[in-house]
Amino acid sequence: MSLTNLYKKYHEKVQFLVIYIREAHPVDGWWLGFRLTRKLVDKYYPKAATDVNDPKTIEERRAVAGRCETTLQYGIRTYVDEMDDHVNKAYSAQPTRLFLIGKGGRVVYYGGPGPYGFSPTKLGEAIDTYLENETNV
Amino acid sequence: MSAISKMVTEVKTIKEYWTKEVRRQKVLEPNVPKVGEMAVNFTLTDSSGEHTVTLSDFQGKKPVALIFGSFT
Repeated sequence: MSLTNLYKKYHEKVQFLVIYIREAHPVDGWWLGFRLTRKLVDKYYPKAATDVNDPKTIEERRAVAGRCETTLQYGIRTYVDEMDDHVNKAYSAQPTRLFLIGKGGRVVYYGGPGPYGFSPTKLGEAIDTYLENETNV
Repeated sequence: MSAISKMVTEVKTIKEYWTKEVRRQKVLEPNVPKVGEMAVNFTLTDSSGEHTVTLSDFQGKKPVALIFGSFT
């Protein structure tokens, strides 16, 4: 299940927040390479960018986040972590990670780090389980 | 540099990156908020700089799905 479909299915019962954090593979940082990597990224992650520098200011970070929001089109508003990365650090979120927080403010589900541990399907299962139990209580 | 040696260099770079990334994630994994723990509260502004959200505002109202990521 894609994030877009997950959002469409649950957005009335669950608040979705996309949080843009530090770039995982900026071209001026830990960029993996050029020709070979670009081909692999284009094949498996066609919407991911391969031309982004690591933003140095919050304005630059917001601009990249806005571009990301427009390109990926999840339909979910994107919030931007501050330059001190405090939210990223608090959740050990980099490069990508999913969480479900219950109504009481406690963690109900946490996914593995992306890309391999990033599973909207598992998040969907966690939402189903949470909503079923909530109904029963 | 020939095409083959460029590709070999890239593969080495990817392997080096992967090793470091796996090591980094192993160090960070114990710090991930676990099931049952209180989620760390935060207030952030959106990409337009116009809208702000605070996680605790949803407490008692709705569960929250947090989707962390970047563009690359």
